[in-house]
Amino acid sequence: MTKTDTAPPLAGSANHQPRRRIRLPAETGAVVALAVLVAVLGWLSPSFLEPANLLSVLSQAALPGLLAIGMVFVLATREIDVSAGAVFHLAATFTALLMVAGMDPWLAALAGVTAGAGLGLINGLLVIALRLPALLVTLGTWWMIQGLSLVAGKGQTFAPTGAGSGFFTTLSGKAFTVVPAAGIVFVVLTMAMHVVLHRTRFGYRVQAVGSNPLAATYAGIPTGKVKVLTLVLMGAVAGLAGVIHLGSQGAIAPGDGGTFALLAIAAAIIGGTSLSGGSGSVIGAAIGMLVLQAIQSAMTLHGVDAIWTAFTTGALVVLALAIDRLIRLWRDWRAGHGDPLG
Amino acid sequence: MSDSPILFVRTIAKRFGGTVVLEDMNLTVERGSIHALVGESGAGKSTLTKVLAGIVRPDSGVIEFDGKTVTIDSPNAARKLGIGMVLQQPVLFAERSVLANLFVNREPVHNGLISRREMEARSRDLLRQLGLDVDVHTPLRDLGPGERQLVAIARALLENPRLLILDDPNSALDGRQSERLFAALRGLKAKGMSMLYASNRLDEALGIADQMTVMRNGRDVLSKARQDLTTSEEAMIGQLRQSLFPLPLRALPTLAGTLRPQIAVEGLSGGILSGVSFTARAGEILGLAGSGAPDLLALLFGLRKPRQGKVRFSDGDGLPGTQTEAARRNICMISGDRGNGLMADKSIAFNMANVVVGARNWGSLWYSPKAALRRATRQIEALRIRSTPEMPAGALSAGGQQKVVIAKWLEIGPQVMLLDEPARGIDIGSKQEIYALIRQMAASGCIVLLHSRELSELTGLCDRILAFHQGRLAGEIAGDDMDVGKVLKLIISGKPADERHQSSRESAA
Repeated sequence: MTKTDTAPPLAGSANHQPRRRIRLPAETGAVVALAVLVAVLGWLSPSFLEPANLLSVLSQAALPGLLAIGMVFVLATREIDVSAGAVFHLAATFTALLMVAGMDPWLAALAGVTAGAGLGLINGLLVIALRLPALLVTLGTWWMIQGLSLVAGKGQTFAPTGAGSGFFTTLSGKAFTVVPAAGIVFVVLTMAMHVVLHRTRFGYRVQAVGSNPLAATYAGIPTGKVKVLTLVLMGAVAGLAGVIHLGSQGAIAPGDGGTFALLAIAAAIIGGTSLSGGSGSVIGAAIGMLVLQAIQSAMTLHGVDAIWTAFTTGALVVLALAIDRLIRLWRDWRAGHGDPLG
Repeated sequence: MSDSPILFVRTIAKRFGGTVVLEDMNLTVERGSIHALVGESGAGKSTLTKVLAGIVRPDSGVIEFDGKTVTIDSPNAARKLGIGMVLQQPVLFAERSVLANLFVNREPVHNGLISRREMEARSRDLLRQLGLDVDVHTPLRDLGPGERQLVAIARALLENPRLLILDDPNSALDGRQSERLFAALRGLKAKGMSMLYASNRLDEALGIADQMTVMRNGRDVLSKARQDLTTSEEAMIGQLRQSLFPLPLRALPTLAGTLRPQIAVEGLSGGILSGVSFTARAGEILGLAGSGAPDLLALLFGLRKPRQGKVRFSDGDGLPGTQTEAARRNICMISGDRGNGLMADKSIAFNMANVVVGARNWGSLWYSPKAALRRATRQIEALRIRSTPEMPAGALSAGGQQKVVIAKWLEIGPQVMLLDEPARGIDIGSKQEIYALIRQMAASGCIVLLHSRELSELTGLCDRILAFHQGRLAGEIAGDDMDVGKVLKLIISGKPADERHQSSRESAA
């Protein structure tokens, strides 16, 4: 009786479980949603399935989609950045100002991306210095950055001269005469950042910090640095999106990008990124953004008033959260594990 | 009334996931008596008390309360039956006043308003009886841990329970407070209250109990009235814990004059720690006991900044500035606090890469899931973790989780191991394995510092023990002098039990 063999008679069952369980990738939900959506929308109105329309969905998704890529990294560290839309706007305005000042458009574009990264760095340093959640810090900087870009753009639509230069023709142009340049950047960056999140040391650290910040600290992972870097990345992609917007539209208007940050968060959630951190899917977020834009496009096709867009976006987010929660509950119920020993 | 027992528990079983916590547990508590439930932590005491309090539902088994078979499916059901509960880590509201905490959800109401006066009147006598002399309007967070524990006990007593369950209530109390508590419990017994007192300290249980049940691995192994306990049985209970600890391995000869890597700490202050000096050598396990020891580990791992003092590690450098620097210098920290070490939603393979990939800045910039799987497979085999690398680490038993936390550090070949209660709350088998592992690490030339609140763990495993009292080094105990009583004396009073230790204290200081 005092023998200390502790192999509980049921312990062996733990070894059978993994073989039975099929693990679906996190993107499954978003992919299924997109496929069903495209099928239904195509069935309702065949004109939706025309390549031109599908590509326009892609180009609409591209800019907020770039922000969603960065947002996945931020969410995966258990933080959130609401200032990204404002960074997008300020980077575009800044680039436009530099072009007006006579800088080479490509150099100005590079400066715009760098400015975005710089704003992200400020966000990150504030998060570290004040030891506050990024949500609070970026809530403040969001207003500041938005205010700055209004001041810089004098509250008016700002169109830099020299629209004939290579910068504008490239970004507003289309590859193979059909695929929009912004869409290409979006797709390529999605693939690249997906690999970064899942296959690099930086991506590993991002997931580790978000999964359990305390455990990450105790394992010697530089948690502060990782958080700063994700916010810099977020700023940089927001800046890139701003620059591309400027290049393809030729102008930046005061309201542009105002909803992008929340749209990016919504897309990430639909794509299977959890708000409680630890995991995320860049491809999922990109698909999530396509879902959002496809619905908007379909609503326009069917003559639904555009003012319903905000409502549907919100409803989709709630739906995605509810489904995610249900799946999780179901999994917990199946695994049947409670809190061992309390 | 009848003489039938107030509580009768038969063949209770409970498992969490793959971990069997309770298995065929039986217990009988007589009316008007104090029944002690003793066993190592991880034996299942807390789970059993939670079953009785309606917090945890058993998988099978029968509970009879007051002669009737009952189902306790919620804390409210337990309360209605008259079962009061004091949890090991009481759930209290730190921001609210003592009074508010005493009457949670049961505030006396007059004309629709909470009557503070009545709350004061009803609690005054009870608090005095428990020896809790505090202003009842101070927020709870301003109280010491012992006082907070007493508030939790008072809260349970205010309901006038017929059976009071206390789960290790003494762990937070100092000597005087625990004497007060014992006196109060005896007073309650005289008034006819029955009590179930769970503890992992045998001497304490022997001091207060009328009957006792010894628990081990979720079963009752011995149940007897206190006076029927023979000395040989007492010795046997004592021995249960001795067998936990592996015999010291002596791989490195303890030759004087040989150069061994060591940590030299001089006048270190930080946190509540002040002016601490000692050396820790490779090949030995240095125990740390008392308040201040967790701060010392945090300082050595770079989680805290020192106020003053000098430290020289075996690699010749001083204190690490950050935990990342510590990890890169092969200084490792293993904490038994749940949540400090594990990424529960991630796979075991992911967790094992924590230090190798997460902390280091050399090697490949890529994270290879394949390499992580290989690494995890190797460690799972070496540490006998019962799972596969792809499984989420949170699905493991507590012991398995702790092995994962240790394994991720073994990957880098640590030079210094800082252990903060590395075996807390895990089953005995895993405990033994982890103790053996710690021994092995020390024998292979690692400097091991071990802090534990469970003093028997220190005396069983360590070569030397440094005792801290209020952040100061109170003394050092080594060799045959090591026993729980002497260590306890040092950390409570700051003075050694007799003059003989005075000299060792001075040599250490």
